[in-house]
Amino acid sequence: MSTATISLPAVPEPATSSTPAVHRNWRLPWRQLGRLLLALPVPLAILAFWQAAAVYEWVPAQILPSPSAVAATFVDLLRSGELQSNLLISFWRVLWGFLAGAGAGLLLGVGMGLSPLVKDYLYPSFKTFAQVPALGWLPLLMMLVGIDEALKIVLIAKASLVPVTLNTYKGLQGVPTRYIEVAKVYGFSRWQLLRKVVLPAAFPPIWNGVRYGLTHAWLALVAVELLASSEGLGFLIVYGRQLYQLDVVLAAVVVVGAVGLLLDLALAQVEKYLLRWRRDAF
Amino acid sequence: MAHAGTLEIKNLNKQYTVKGEPLPVLENISLSIKPGEFVSIVGSSGCGKSTLLRLVIGLEQEYQGEILLDGKRIVGTSLDRGIVFQEHRLFPWLTVEQNVGVGLLNADLSPAQKKKTVDEHIALVGLKGFETAYPYQLSGGMSQRVAIARALVNRPEVLLLDEPFGALDALTRSHLQQELQRIWEAEGITAILVTHDVEEAVYLGDRVVVMQPRPGRIKRIVDVPLPRSRDRGSYAFSQIKDDVLSEFSDTPHSDVKLVTPQESLGANWQFAW
Repeated sequence: MSTATISLPAVPEPATSSTPAVHRNWRLPWRQLGRLLLALPVPLAILAFWQAAAVYEWVPAQILPSPSAVAATFVDLLRSGELQSNLLISFWRVLWGFLAGAGAGLLLGVGMGLSPLVKDYLYPSFKTFAQVPALGWLPLLMMLVGIDEALKIVLIAKASLVPVTLNTYKGLQGVPTRYIEVAKVYGFSRWQLLRKVVLPAAFPPIWNGVRYGLTHAWLALVAVELLASSEGLGFLIVYGRQLYQLDVVLAAVVVVGAVGLLLDLALAQVEKYLLRWRRDAF
Repeated sequence: MAHAGTLEIKNLNKQYTVKGEPLPVLENISLSIKPGEFVSIVGSSGCGKSTLLRLVIGLEQEYQGEILLDGKRIVGTSLDRGIVFQEHRLFPWLTVEQNVGVGLLNADLSPAQKKKTVDEHIALVGLKGFETAYPYQLSGGMSQRVAIARALVNRPEVLLLDEPFGALDALTRSHLQQELQRIWEAEGITAILVTHDVEEAVYLGDRVVVMQPRPGRIKRIVDVPLPRSRDRGSYAFSQIKDDVLSEFSDTPHSDVKLVTPQESLGANWQFAW
């Protein structure tokens, strides 16, 4: 007998005439606004410290340019269009690499999650492969595919493949037996079971994997552009360092961080919509 | 109204294999249930009552003996038999009406008929107005009502209930017991309720099957010849309840003596915590 128990809230039966609280998030999002504001003190403090360090020259200006200098450089880079063109190049690389990696990861994860045979064949090899960081493959890949776009896309794909595969596989493994039994009771076919029960139940962990995948793709992008590229945000960082223009380096770093954050936030918004059946955790 | 099924269990034996040794869970169970009858099965944990239900619903397949519904041997699960589990097991990603509709996914009805049947059953369990709510917005009792609607929406011949109210608080539980009786009368179907709550078994059952553990056997079947709705406080009700309860105490009733507390130092002290 399944021992899974769900603790049910001991709420007395409400009168059935009361309207259900279906749209309970319609109130003004003051609370959310407050939480957003809470995110500000830490970056502002860092900024203030940085500014102080520049003003009192704790660190030479050549090594740590002031925030205002970085901001000015940022505006310059925007005006000249250099930032946009490099960002766009980086963005496309991430997009293709991520699509390839996440797509392959979903296939692999679904295969291993649904078929024990596929899992037995592939899982140990996959785990071994996953243990080697993306950069470990770099020398070999440089020889194999050169240092052009293919190299970047392959490495980014590898970086997103691993978390997507693992989370998809684990998510499918973790679908509760109690739901599968319900499907059996109502005579679901294999396809109905997959579409109506297994995929929705496994969706939260799978989507988590996709989010990790995108984050890893972005990290891998910057790393590979640092090492082998003549354009892109990572290149901008290397280029700034080589010319001893640390304002360019810092501006690029801030953009890398901000874009990474925005990408993850976008996926979080999608998740919020797709998982609207889930109770907020807090 | 649904056609009520006749369930016949003959010489049913079931064993699991634990560490290579056969472990009998059910031994020689024979029980015949009339169409439209409500049978309660009580027993302590581990007496195999849930296993018996899982065999009847078809989630467990290996057994010796026979389980017949309307004379036909049960093979696997079927829309003829509905079940309510202890946990509501609603799909959290579906609304109330979609969850009830799960029962009709493979039914031979047009979408309009399905919609109508779903609406009727939501009304039957008293949840009109909650059609578009998600399970996380429902209380435990309401969730279990949805689960009952889902189990009934196919108009099964037999409704199986596996400790359906075990996780609910006492007030909600007794309220839902009344509701279940009303629904059972309205649908006129055969029902089997597995529970460890003797009062619940007596309140709802036409007969109460008492099981004993290791291996699970039928110890006794107690008739409950009381008119419905039953009054839990009545003398006749208490008598039957005590009769069933007596099956669970190891020592016979006549031997029971009142134990006089021993007078000892501090026995009369009132502690303030």
